[in-house]
Amino acid sequence: MDPREVIDHQFTVAAYAVTWVIQLSYLTWLGMKWRAQKRQAARNRRNPR
Amino acid sequence: MKKPAIALYAAITVGLLAWGFYQAVYVAPPDAMQGEIYRVIFYHVPSASVAFLFFAISLCGSIGFLAFRRGNALRAQAADAWALAGAEVGVVFCTVVLVTGPIWGRRAWGIWWTWDARLTTTLVLWLIYVSYLLLRRFVAGPQMQTLAAVLGIFGALDVPIVYMSNRWWRTQHPAPVFGGDSSAGMAPAMVTALMWNMLAWLAWGLLILVLRYNVERKHQEIAAQDAQNALEA
Repeated sequence: MDPREVIDHQFTVAAYAVTWVIQLSYLTWLGMKWRAQKRQAARNRRNPR
Repeated sequence: MKKPAIALYAAITVGLLAWGFYQAVYVAPPDAMQGEIYRVIFYHVPSASVAFLFFAISLCGSIGFLAFRRGNALRAQAADAWALAGAEVGVVFCTVVLVTGPIWGRRAWGIWWTWDARLTTTLVLWLIYVSYLLLRRFVAGPQMQTLAAVLGIFGALDVPIVYMSNRWWRTQHPAPVFGGDSSAGMAPAMVTALMWNMLAWLAWGLLILVLRYNVERKHQEIAAQDAQNALEA
């Protein structure tokens, strides 16, 4: 395989991988926030001040 | 009924992303000038398009908040939640653009970054919306949403500048592929792959946009409940 093609491939893989890391990290953070809020809403319903 | 519909939508989105990946990597032919590295555009361009769309949603939400804040508090809160969701998810997609672009640039140009008009205006756009999110995170008080809405409107003014930058000025960034001059364009197989990825990333973006909107609405509900409880205590 042409070395230029190999380097191109590595850079393309890096771009795709970084995209997925950013998107999935955000989705994970959002999921955690969603769960924390659900828990807090349930706590507020149980113990209104 | 709601949960199965969301699960079905999420499954279709994952399927579209997988199909888009297949099209980008295995179906689209290599570019005659750039070889394999051009495949970065199949993630870079859809991310930019989705970011622009979501900043437009944020603009509409910000205008809606300012329009309804005195007369209809419920609608104003919903508009504010759309403004926040659009800005935040837009920043995520804009981050992808600002990371994948330099990776492509390093191979195509031999440099990671240059201060040309397209790159600089995109960075400014990202900075404006990061400032918007920081404002929402760290400013307290009743004026926060109004200040954020005004900043959101100013931020959106940069979107058409980013879009037009490589038409108005000579840039190192490639000329527009669509809507450019007569020499612009792509091979049909490349266009097909790009369109599938546009659709897939739009579907993904809408999924997380709606999730973010719901998280914010829940946050508003909890904050209102806390305020009510404090008044009653």
